[in-house]
Amino acid sequence: MTVADNLTVPIQREDRRVKARRAHIWLAALLAVTAILSLATGPTGTSLWGALGKLITGDELTTMERVVLWDIRLPRLILGMAVGASLAVSGAVMQGLFRNPLADPGLVGVGAGAGLGAIVAIVLGALLPIWLRDVVGNYLVSFSAFFGGWLSTIILYRVSTRRGQTSVATMLLAGIALGALAGAVSGILVYMADDQQLRDLTFWGMGSLAGATWAKVVVAVPLIGIAVVASFFLGQGLNGLALGEATAAHLGIPVQRLKSAAIMIVAGATGAAVAVSGGIGFIGIVVPHLLRLATGPDHDTLLPNAALLGATLLLGADIISRLIIAPAELPIGIVTAVLGSPVFLWILLRRRGLVEF
Amino acid sequence: MIEATNIKVKIGKAAILHGVNFTAEPGKVTAIVGPNGSGKTTLLRAITDEIPWSGQIKINGKSIGDYKSWELAAVRGVLPQAATLAFPFTVIEVVRMGLTSGVHGNKDALATQALARVGLSGYEGRFFQELSGGEQQRAHLARVLCQVWEPVLNRQPRWLLLDEPVASLDIGHQLLIMRCLQDYAKRGGGVIAVMHDLNLTAMVADAVTIVARGRVVAHGGVQDVLNDQALSSAYDCTLRTNTPPISDMRYVLPQAAETAGA
Repeated sequence: MTVADNLTVPIQREDRRVKARRAHIWLAALLAVTAILSLATGPTGTSLWGALGKLITGDELTTMERVVLWDIRLPRLILGMAVGASLAVSGAVMQGLFRNPLADPGLVGVGAGAGLGAIVAIVLGALLPIWLRDVVGNYLVSFSAFFGGWLSTIILYRVSTRRGQTSVATMLLAGIALGALAGAVSGILVYMADDQQLRDLTFWGMGSLAGATWAKVVVAVPLIGIAVVASFFLGQGLNGLALGEATAAHLGIPVQRLKSAAIMIVAGATGAAVAVSGGIGFIGIVVPHLLRLATGPDHDTLLPNAALLGATLLLGADIISRLIIAPAELPIGIVTAVLGSPVFLWILLRRRGLVEF
Repeated sequence: MIEATNIKVKIGKAAILHGVNFTAEPGKVTAIVGPNGSGKTTLLRAITDEIPWSGQIKINGKSIGDYKSWELAAVRGVLPQAATLAFPFTVIEVVRMGLTSGVHGNKDALATQALARVGLSGYEGRFFQELSGGEQQRAHLARVLCQVWEPVLNRQPRWLLLDEPVASLDIGHQLLIMRCLQDYAKRGGGVIAVMHDLNLTAMVADAVTIVARGRVVAHGGVQDVLNDQALSSAYDCTLRTNTPPISDMRYVLPQAAETAGA
């Protein structure tokens, strides 16, 4: 179509797309700086700069430097970026799907299912045959949490889909029921658990990147990467969905395919993130909201920006969690909750017009 | 042409449309009128494939089931009675959403031109939620206009399917929008509009379909269909139509304190 090609009518307010694209660069730079800080920070006093200097001059790294930087901090950095990006993008996708800025990935049942999976592994893992425990080793909780998250999403999706149409309202209500059921089963298992298992369960629920290994990176990061990149293709569809499902369909958006894809992406990304890091809250709500305030709600730019800011914030929270009571570590879920809950409250009050800032 | 044949719609156990036949031709504004609950919006929602229906609906000779979703979006734009919006989008961002189905060229300029067409020049950067109900409705109409901007594409007419497009507008903007629709039809496109204002319908429509109690009770030109008997029977009250000698424009007057049965 060329009819309007020659028209040049100025737009009064600064085009938010330009601002959002500029934000890609700023957020990428911020992520790079935070990543370097994350690599350079830790309770052991191992210096990133000293190690880099040795690499440049060709000197050998000490075993300590190799272990701390290569085996501990680098996998933790990569896993932290992936988990942060996954939680923030999943939040933005869910909010677009439910047309509500307070929606979060928990609504598709990933959290409840993953939590139950983790509890099953922690409490009943000891009952597995020894050869199986040898095979899955330390990753039993992660596998079980991922499987639990995925399974509960599939159940919820099947329950809320009739004649090829998924009802997000049914999904929301069925999610509450499924969450309560998972909570009840978890309660039974918690009742059966011994003291050590209870301690493991509590710490899993608070979330941590302390268990980051290259093996976890290799398993989780590709899955999260695929889901996050796939979400970038949902931007235009989620924008249309802001007008309601019927209007989105009139715009030519394949609404049912969009809903299925969004749910699967969120289940995959969040499931993998929760499996390797436990329960980390608020990133999924706070990051998209801050970005909407700064650069507008256009999902085409919101989703990549959410990935960058989510990764940055989680790395930042991880640095705080490592330093605040060094040499011990505060679970990262506590840090994100302390920082995120006031912001969440602010969002609620602002929506009801109770605060104006 | 849009042809709907033997359209039946049930919502729950209640039959809303009982085998309705309806046609609309390109180059014309076709109005669907009728009392509340008669099934006129349901008929439009069946034609837009928004609700389950049985029968046959063809747009430009092709059954709507044979269109892919993006093909259908390129052939017809739909304005629902009430469209909501989640998230704080600006007016221009909402209008640009209409440009999803294969529109090329300068999209911003097209969206701005569509806003000018509905009398919203200068509103581009305003937040959609800040607008009044009537302004929001016009912004949505601009979005729909963008979607099928050229009335004819590849020698096929395109269609505007509108549910009460002027319902919450003042009289000046009602005229602006109706003239915009007339212009679209004049340039070869087709317009189907569910209308409540019979006088506005008489003024701008080329064809009128009266729907009452889930059936089409009259269809044809304004002079043929908008008559005392058909209107009084459909609306279940006494209505008088007249045509002033200085123009051929028909108008409708309700008769106070009188009912059809009286």
